[in-house]
Amino acid sequence: MSGPQALVIGGGPAGVSAAVALARAGIDVTLCEQGPRLGGAIHRQPDDQTQSVRVPRAHKQRWQALSDELAASTVKVLCRHMFAGIEATGAVLLEDRNTGRLVTRRPAALVLAMGAIERVAPVPGWHLPGVVSAGGLQVMMKSTGRAPSGAVLIAGSGPLLVALAAQMASLGNAPVAVLERSPRLMSLRVIASLLRTPAYLREAAGYVGTLVRAGCLPQRGAFVTAIVPKDGRLSVSVRDRGGRERQLLVDRVALHDGLLPNSNGTAAHPNGPFLVRAGDCREVLGGAAALADGRLAAQAVLAHLGKRGSDSTGAELAMARERQAQAALNTLFDYSGRDPTELPDDTIICRCEGRTLGQLRAMLDSRDPVSAREIKLNGRFGMGACQGRFCAEWVAAFVASQHADGSPPQSSEIVGSRWPVKPVPISAFVTLPPSHPSE
Amino acid sequence: MLRFTPVSFVSTLSAGVLHSDRTSSFRVGDMLHPQGNSPRSSRSVAIVGAGIVGMSAAHFLSRAGWQVTVYDAGVVASGATGSADGAVSVASKKPGPLMTLAVAAVKFYEQLIAEGVLVDEYLPRSTFVVASDDEELSVLERHAGELEAASVPIRMLRGTALTEVIGAAAPTAIAAAEVQREGHAVGYRVVERLRRLGGFAIRRNCRVSGFTSSNGHITGVITECGTEQADAVLLATGIGSMHFLAESDLIRPRKGQLIVTDRAGADSPHFPGPLMSCRYLVSKGSQPANSAAASRSLGLVIDPLRTGQFLIGGSREDRDDRETADGDIVAALLRDAVALSPSLARLRVIRVFSGLRAATRDGMPIVGRVGGADNLWIATGFEGDGICLGPLMGRLCQQMICGEPPDQDISALDATRFRLTLAAAA
Amino acid sequence: MSEVPSFLFDGKAIPHTGNETIAAALDRAGIHTLGTGQAGCAGRYFCGIGACQACLVIVDGTRMEACLTPARSGLTVKRFVPVSS
Repeated sequence: MSGPQALVIGGGPAGVSAAVALARAGIDVTLCEQGPRLGGAIHRQPDDQTQSVRVPRAHKQRWQALSDELAASTVKVLCRHMFAGIEATGAVLLEDRNTGRLVTRRPAALVLAMGAIERVAPVPGWHLPGVVSAGGLQVMMKSTGRAPSGAVLIAGSGPLLVALAAQMASLGNAPVAVLERSPRLMSLRVIASLLRTPAYLREAAGYVGTLVRAGCLPQRGAFVTAIVPKDGRLSVSVRDRGGRERQLLVDRVALHDGLLPNSNGTAAHPNGPFLVRAGDCREVLGGAAALADGRLAAQAVLAHLGKRGSDSTGAELAMARERQAQAALNTLFDYSGRDPTELPDDTIICRCEGRTLGQLRAMLDSRDPVSAREIKLNGRFGMGACQGRFCAEWVAAFVASQHADGSPPQSSEIVGSRWPVKPVPISAFVTLPPSHPSE
Repeated sequence: MLRFTPVSFVSTLSAGVLHSDRTSSFRVGDMLHPQGNSPRSSRSVAIVGAGIVGMSAAHFLSRAGWQVTVYDAGVVASGATGSADGAVSVASKKPGPLMTLAVAAVKFYEQLIAEGVLVDEYLPRSTFVVASDDEELSVLERHAGELEAASVPIRMLRGTALTEVIGAAAPTAIAAAEVQREGHAVGYRVVERLRRLGGFAIRRNCRVSGFTSSNGHITGVITECGTEQADAVLLATGIGSMHFLAESDLIRPRKGQLIVTDRAGADSPHFPGPLMSCRYLVSKGSQPANSAAASRSLGLVIDPLRTGQFLIGGSREDRDDRETADGDIVAALLRDAVALSPSLARLRVIRVFSGLRAATRDGMPIVGRVGGADNLWIATGFEGDGICLGPLMGRLCQQMICGEPPDQDISALDATRFRLTLAAAA
Repeated sequence: MSEVPSFLFDGKAIPHTGNETIAAALDRAGIHTLGTGQAGCAGRYFCGIGACQACLVIVDGTRMEACLTPARSGLTVKRFVPVSS
């Protein structure tokens, strides 16, 4: 039941960077990754090294350097270990998927580096098979080294759309269309803001070049209004910048409306370890920032443990630079999604529990204000297996749009802060050794 | 019992469903008042606590013609009502007033369904009290006899009958008592239904801090949102009641942890009602709140919910940290659950939650008048029975406040046994 | 064991590369619907990082995210179909 001095959750750049920095300072560190391999979403490693997706050289070098440092370190790596939360006595629960057991650890410090989760704004039909998040499609492509099969439509907003489209094109299956909700184009001002981080400009130029050659540059100001199943495929209604509607028949739709920290509902526990977040899990700034933020998280842990770390000025400067670059990039995109008041009542909002916008609307037709608790208990929004991670924000936004006065429920109240932070098999739970053997 | 013409009531409600009742609630209210036995009254009552007891009392008092305002420091059903298991059950009761009241409470749920007050919020079904060894069997047989003596319909299941009904789910069971004509009601759904029926006002996030009074008579409630007049006050604040009483250690929090699984699939266990381990009978009520002995015990009920999920519970701990659940207790409950029903192991835990029951010093609820004022009533201390007893208690509170003879003998719950008085601050 | 490594999905042999997830193998086999879901919305691969829980399948009797679970020969994988009580 004891544990390492520091436990790091998440094997992406932030987690590995934090773990390496801690180990270098002489701390006993264990790094847990839920998947079978390290890398996270950004550095997802191919299943077969001979088949890999083209990634920017800077990304590749970054991960290679980090992997080398990890290999040379004393960090203990546990793959297929899922973080299940911090329970009442402060123990960290880990589900070991290799053995099917639940184990507890009591580290002095816990670094959460679980990356970001994607925002996917609800649109009629978003819940259907064949509709995937753009990040989900990219992760699968990076793993398999294959472009997703069939006709693929990419829609939403954010730099990921272009990256995904270009990587697909390079692998021989360019998307049938890329719809970028934001009408804004790259401006000199944004380019100027990115001069301190030229890697972004090089990366963007590379993607755009690929898409020009493939003939599928993003259609700006265009978005999906509905997706319906048709003859085993998906019929997608698309509205362009001029308001014209057309139908596309595709096999897959990849949606993406930006990223959110994977806050996971885990809060520091009075009986639990010192808790710090790192990387996109704390602030969505991308892979380069994650590296620096991992080092900063390690510094915070070292300070807590009363140890001196190395100078963090470099990491702080890098964070400032990345923050500025992301802010500049974000001005080009529109993450608002569709105005929910324009969506039809049968639009699914909470996929896990199959709850619709109409059912949410019906909860608001009374003279009493509605609380997060009632939205969950009576409406069952956010009560399913994903624990509100994909609907809470949209539920909260819709309720707020209908109740301008008062204090509408917050997204974080809908997600809540209970463990398990993800579903845990009972078969694993029953293996948890009693901490008080007398019982 | 309150009598009114159920036919028109039911038809109005079913037309209203759960959505458009802003209008239907007023129609229901307008319709009910002339038809009730109670004379129309302009008297006002302040109910403190929007849990199942307070909201039920609000419903019946409003039907009796009172102007009702419910105050809650949080939102509706934010206390024990919103984190209860929902058993409307006699199965675990020991002989005595609580068993008698639970029998009446189950019948009252059936009546509220027939009247259309609760439509889809009550699911009638049996509870299966399971014995897995000879020791448990002897406890079970004695208990079944006690229930039968209280006219509770019981079927003992053994051999083939046991195998057919629950055997596939509970292969280690050697016998079970099927306690028939029980049910399940989700506390927050009952409260939501009563809220939707309307007829009374709710002040959310409006903590009541005290009362204004004159010559031993309460004249109003002092709240965060101002002072409001009231001709009568009912305290239905569960564990929060202790803040209002001079004897603050009379009611103690008794924490319960409950587990929710994901939905059952084709490979999941199936049984027609909750399985209750006979051990639950040993756990329940075995430790009065003032016991200095071991401060926690585990019972085991595996409850198949209408959603297809299972609710597995629960603990009884003399603690008040509601927001946390601990791994030891959850794992111990799940080990017991899997021992009773092995294929549960194929499901996943999606949620663990805790609630605080209001446990009184003698294990009996407190219902009646509070000393020091002639128009202040209290209904609290239902510990784990609030959902079962809540609607009936709401009805009895209404009768008490209206000065009508109660439908049930609640002298055993009378607040005067503790000589309750208001706290000085209140 | 056959020449091509495979696992069973609802009784059908699905080939896998030996180093990929169940989700990737099913996708290559053209299988996009992963069951009827917990509450009416069909199961499907979606987020790829175990967060959305939409790709839940039953792997040798235990419910797991297809996107996180390595495909192995001999596994019996089934779609999740809820039974309403």
